[in-house]
Amino acid sequence: MMIETLIAVALIGALVTFVAPNRIAGKLAFLISLVPAGLSLWMFATFDGRGNALLEGDLAFESRLEWIQLGAYDISWFVGLDGISMPLVVLTTILVTLAIVSSWTPIDDRESQFYGLVLFIEANLIGVFAALDFFVWFIFWEAVLIPMYLLIGIWGGPRRKYAAIKFFVYTNVASLVMFGAVIALVFGLGDAVTSFALPEITAAMLDGGPDGFFGVAGPTLASAVFVATFVGFAVKVPVVPFHTWLPDAHVEAPTPASVLLAGVLLKMGTYALLRFNFTMFPTEIVEPFVVPIAVVAVISVIYGAMLALAQTDLKRIVAYSSVSSMGYVILGLIAYTHFGVGGATFQMVSHGLISGLMFMAVGVIYNATHTRMVTDMSGMADRMPIAVGIFVAGSFGYMGLPLMSGFAAEYFIFFGSFGADFPYAPVFTALAMFGIVVVAGYLLYAMQRAIFGPYSLETDYEVSRAPLHDVAPMFVLLGLIIVLGVAPELIFEMIHDAVDPIVDGGEL
Amino acid sequence: MEGLFDYAPAIALFPLVAFVVALAFGNSLPKKGAIPGILATGGSLLLSIAMLAAVASGEVYHETLYEWAIGDAVSDTGVDGVEFTFGILIDPLSALMLVIVSLIAFLVHVFSLGYMNAEGETGLPRYYAGLGLFTFSMLAFVYADNLLMAFMFFELVGLCSFLLIGFWFRTRSAPSAAKKAFLVTRFGDYFFLIGVVAIAATFGTLQFAGDDSFVAAAETAIADGTTLFGFAPETWVTITGLLVLGGVVGKSAQFPLHTWLPDAMEGPTTVSALIHAATMVAAGVYLVARMFGYYALSPTALAIIAFVGGFTALFAATMGVVKDDIKQVLAYSTISQYGYMMLGLGVGGYVAGVFHLMNHAFFKALLFLGAGSVIVLMHHEQDMWKMGGLKEKAPVTYWTFLAGALALAGIIPFSGFWSKDEILYDALIVGLEEPIILAAYAMGLVAVFFTGFYTFRMVFLTFHGEPRSEAAEDPHPVGWSIKAPLIVLGVLALVAGVANLAPVAKLAQLDITFLESWLDGEFGAIEGLTYGAYGELLAYETSYIGTESTTVLIAAGVSLLLAFSGAGVAWTLYNVPEPVEHKERLGSIGKTVEDNYYQDEYQVWLAEGLTLPLSRAADRFDQTVVDGVVNGVSTASLFGSDRMKRLQTGIVTNYAALLVTGFIALLLVLGILGGWF
Repeated sequence: MMIETLIAVALIGALVTFVAPNRIAGKLAFLISLVPAGLSLWMFATFDGRGNALLEGDLAFESRLEWIQLGAYDISWFVGLDGISMPLVVLTTILVTLAIVSSWTPIDDRESQFYGLVLFIEANLIGVFAALDFFVWFIFWEAVLIPMYLLIGIWGGPRRKYAAIKFFVYTNVASLVMFGAVIALVFGLGDAVTSFALPEITAAMLDGGPDGFFGVAGPTLASAVFVATFVGFAVKVPVVPFHTWLPDAHVEAPTPASVLLAGVLLKMGTYALLRFNFTMFPTEIVEPFVVPIAVVAVISVIYGAMLALAQTDLKRIVAYSSVSSMGYVILGLIAYTHFGVGGATFQMVSHGLISGLMFMAVGVIYNATHTRMVTDMSGMADRMPIAVGIFVAGSFGYMGLPLMSGFAAEYFIFFGSFGADFPYAPVFTALAMFGIVVVAGYLLYAMQRAIFGPYSLETDYEVSRAPLHDVAPMFVLLGLIIVLGVAPELIFEMIHDAVDPIVDGGEL
Repeated sequence: MEGLFDYAPAIALFPLVAFVVALAFGNSLPKKGAIPGILATGGSLLLSIAMLAAVASGEVYHETLYEWAIGDAVSDTGVDGVEFTFGILIDPLSALMLVIVSLIAFLVHVFSLGYMNAEGETGLPRYYAGLGLFTFSMLAFVYADNLLMAFMFFELVGLCSFLLIGFWFRTRSAPSAAKKAFLVTRFGDYFFLIGVVAIAATFGTLQFAGDDSFVAAAETAIADGTTLFGFAPETWVTITGLLVLGGVVGKSAQFPLHTWLPDAMEGPTTVSALIHAATMVAAGVYLVARMFGYYALSPTALAIIAFVGGFTALFAATMGVVKDDIKQVLAYSTISQYGYMMLGLGVGGYVAGVFHLMNHAFFKALLFLGAGSVIVLMHHEQDMWKMGGLKEKAPVTYWTFLAGALALAGIIPFSGFWSKDEILYDALIVGLEEPIILAAYAMGLVAVFFTGFYTFRMVFLTFHGEPRSEAAEDPHPVGWSIKAPLIVLGVLALVAGVANLAPVAKLAQLDITFLESWLDGEFGAIEGLTYGAYGELLAYETSYIGTESTTVLIAAGVSLLLAFSGAGVAWTLYNVPEPVEHKERLGSIGKTVEDNYYQDEYQVWLAEGLTLPLSRAADRFDQTVVDGVVNGVSTASLFGSDRMKRLQTGIVTNYAALLVTGFIALLLVLGILGGWF
């Protein structure tokens, strides 16, 4: 019942916050969000799952309830956690709490609705990571879009409508493609499955795969579904060339929405890729696509980083750098090695923390300066030493500085993919690794212009230090980043345990 | 003795504590964080000396202390399971280096009391925190027992270098220099990281020492002829070795990645002394020494190291000749001296390279701190043409600086002579068999002349002649916290050569090469990490000009002659009451040298002239083409639905007409398909 409690607290909390007075909504939402955060940490501490959720592993906090009979298929409320989803749930709850605190300064309009929507997102995100029935999972998956659409569309910047609609339509069309593909697959599997439970679909896929559907041969169908789901999830990740909604959404979104968008929503895409494309499909289906995907991954890393280099808006820089970082995740996933897939999962958590931190830091600077353009400001370190210090620390985290989580994640991925079996794996790895030089280039360049140098900013007021409640969440994130960088085994051990069956069962 | 090593982690952890204290409480501490720094580095120094004594008594320490990440991965050689760990390796090499690093860190902390605290500088806690974090990272790098841990702290010292070069962040130049330093070394570290990943994926281990080290695994692979990643084992060892070398070239400022070091002089002079002369820049060379067994397996890699080193030694020395800023001269001299160390290691002169590393750490820290003292004397003037005549007014600074200069120029009996001579000697005897090494030797030899010249040009311009500015006539006094470190280092610059008087030993048949015995494990060492063990791996042939003694005499004689003639030319040109510039005489060559052979220009062009426009083009492409397609789909569907919308006119007759037309069309279609006609 633990997962249900998490979701219920967030949902009821969302309702309560929605009707609470604006004045107290922020504090109230913060107090409510502490419950799932604390609870999920307790779940993390007592986690006893073994193996992979889709590959007959022992689930933690499992619960299963028959729900609807749909023709020959059962739909059930089926949730549970394994070593992959557990860290992501904790990431979600912690990041939501911190995002709420970081909203106290910038959000000064319709607060109760804002914080209610944030809690509503939390409930659905937990659902996405915990659900193991395709239908339940898909409901949560789609339900995440609505509050995020509203957060961008109502509290966003000048072009918020364009950005919100682009975000919604783009990712929704992608979901449609993916949904159709999965349904076709389930029908194609015929009598082999009697429900939409993901473990059952996986077992049927690995045990012979689909017989065919509407005259399409089984393997062809499986390959087509692989491509369709890959594209569907690639939009969410986002992978080049499906990434253009991301910078627009980030630039227009209010800071806390950016934190959640980069921190958790992007991980929905990589998480789904891992669960569907790289767990369900047998090796022979995936194999022909590995090299093309490796090419896409390398392009995402390098092209994303190059785009970041061209930007002058701090938020766009961080937004494009997410494209680059997500490219590493794809590289790790296709490696099909323990460190590759495990590192990709680790990177999901690590990037969630680091990009969350970066967006918060940019937000705090923006709160004081009302500009995000590196060309408009100079020497901010002079006026906001602590916030800027954290920005610098976060930037180095992004660059993969050792003893911070980003290095551990990237190192695992590089090591995992260098020794992978797909053709030219070392060459692809070495090419993607060049990202670590470009990322240093654009972040240092931005820092040199905006943060260092003589102080200059055209304002008619005195820029002062950020309040404690703006800075405190960043310290928490920085602390977590360093802890995971020094002791990655804290979560890598359980990730590893959940990744093993994928690699052993579906090795290339 | 065994219990003593339990305290080894504290050597690095003391400065880490100082970092935290300075960062958190620095502003409320009396000296803004200097005291914790001095105490911590002092503690590290005492512990390091204790370690040195322990090694001298035959104890060594190699222990894995912490498992950073473990997992399943099958290496190319079939090793199953891999552990990435933190561990400590204390053997003759690392114990020596620990003492060098902690000694200089301690002296620099003391010096900083007089240099940084004196003038109402703001941000001192940040300064001391940076020094603390640096010392922690550097010491941890030195006793790292595996390549990944070494890489991690190698990167962290790069961060500290960035933070301290950019200490005066309110200027335009310091942040720019800091960025350049990090970026150029990052470029080198990119190759280093590929090397780390490749070695781990190949051998399943990153340990430096022991039977399960990657060096031993590589040796086995070469002996068995195992194909590694599709290559012959020798080739693969060469490739991975050269990848790691990328990081070395970046950090130790070797050609072509040397360009960041002169810019790094934007940092406080104490930082230049500690980080950009004596220790961090040494990290690259130290790494080559640390995994020397691996390089010894690859003659190609060694030859490249030697050639890059020899070339850098000469190349940088020529640039040092035309600089006017005292710190710039020292910066180019640092690049050049690290070139000598690379040359020494590249020709198999493991002892010579390490010997010069040690001597250079002392005399170059001395020269930089001396320059710092001069800068205080001169009221923050660094242009040597505005100095002169400081000799009488600041005798302690002058005499210690002179000791450092004599060591740098390689004048007998100062320390630099012994180690540089040993490097050149080792290069010569190998060079007599290998033409490419002979070329590297020749470059190193010519560089001796330039070294003698720029060193004494600097000494004469700074201290001799008449004062050439008001500041030089009325220097600011310096205190004992500045003088004491200079004296300690001055003595070391004079006597440190005693550690390995190789020519004397060879000529007089005496057993006085202590450093060689030390590194050969005569006191205690880990098997395989000794001079002798490396010698067995090396494929170099050597020969002599006549006998060994003649060769020793010729090598020493030639290099001394060149050093003296360089110094002599400087004497005639600059040891006059009113020295003048002679640059015009060099003509266009002088211009090229002064512009650093346009090395900076092409690298800046690569970044700003090539990469940046390319990224802007990518951005335009992204906005117009990639996003254009997305927006195009949206526009097309909006346009389509707009046209569709026009069908809904709201006029009943239109709908009736459509209805009838549709019905007829349907009938026709059905009729044709059904074969009614």
